[in-house]
Amino acid sequence: MRKYLKYCLLFLPSLLFFGGCATHTRYVESTGPRTIVTTDINIQDFSYAAEEMINSLLASGALDKTQIQPAMLAISRIVNNTTQQIDTDLLTKKIRVALNQSGKALTTTTIGIGGIAEDPLAKGIQQEKEFYADKKEPQRMPDFTLSGKIIEKRDRQDEVRQVSYSFQLSLTNNDGLAVWEDEKEISKQSKRGVIGW
Amino acid sequence: MMRNIFYKPLLSAYILSGIALFSSCTTVNTVERETPVGTKQIIADKRVITDSTLNKKVSIVGLNEGVTNGGFLQVQIEVLNRKNSLQDFSYRFEWFDMNGMLVDTPTSVWIPRQIEGQETMTITAVAPAAGVKDFRVKFIENVRKN
Repeated sequence: MRKYLKYCLLFLPSLLFFGGCATHTRYVESTGPRTIVTTDINIQDFSYAAEEMINSLLASGALDKTQIQPAMLAISRIVNNTTQQIDTDLLTKKIRVALNQSGKALTTTTIGIGGIAEDPLAKGIQQEKEFYADKKEPQRMPDFTLSGKIIEKRDRQDEVRQVSYSFQLSLTNNDGLAVWEDEKEISKQSKRGVIGW
Repeated sequence: MMRNIFYKPLLSAYILSGIALFSSCTTVNTVERETPVGTKQIIADKRVITDSTLNKKVSIVGLNEGVTNGGFLQVQIEVLNRKNSLQDFSYRFEWFDMNGMLVDTPTSVWIPRQIEGQETMTITAVAPAAGVKDFRVKFIENVRKN
């Protein structure tokens, strides 16, 4: 009995150590309040920025000023001026979905920067359809283009580090005028840990 | 003698905790027009309070409703932090159509906000579609570990 007890006492620290290393993974709502916050741009930051941008855009009534409703929107360049590699579709897709649901604008997937379509198959079908229909009138051009920039700014004071992200968007009509513009800033502070950031 | 031994450290602890408590309090002073020109479309509301602590931190003063140029429902909620220190909270708007069905939208996310002591803050939201008739707003304390 004493021998078993000795073995138990011998392995107990290792059991406790490795038991403590077990990872607990769970699902969280990606739009919920329990997501991880880091100084990088997190998934929820795109949601916050998109939410504010959509509110602002719909409230402005800028999309209502076209002859044909819903307005046609093309996505232009969203410049990533941050130190991180991010896919700007995380921002633009939310805006596109919301505008589509609102019934105020539809996004073209056959017109893109440098003539590159987002959906090449859709562009091919569109061209073929126009060819067989012997269509002479020009293709409907987008009423608006959406462009923007994401900027990062880092500051430090003593042990406190601050990183700010500025989400800037512009809606330009086909006369080249920015009919709606907005900016959403998100700032995060963290205290420096023992190692690095 | 015995009383003095316990009394002094206890008094110091009280003073220190008092300093710590009041030094963290920063409240907001405000000024505005005595008689506002704009008229708010205040609407009657129904509240379900399950967290009374949060209700003190983020107290709902009133709901103001309007319609945007494009015919979208616009809601503004005025909240007040009745505490004397900075508070964190999150809110989320849910939108409902004519049939009372929830309208799923990318804009329906928990938005974290901070409110200073005794500060009044206005939260604005625009309905995601013209067919949206009703809304519900949820508030929650900051559940993330800082």
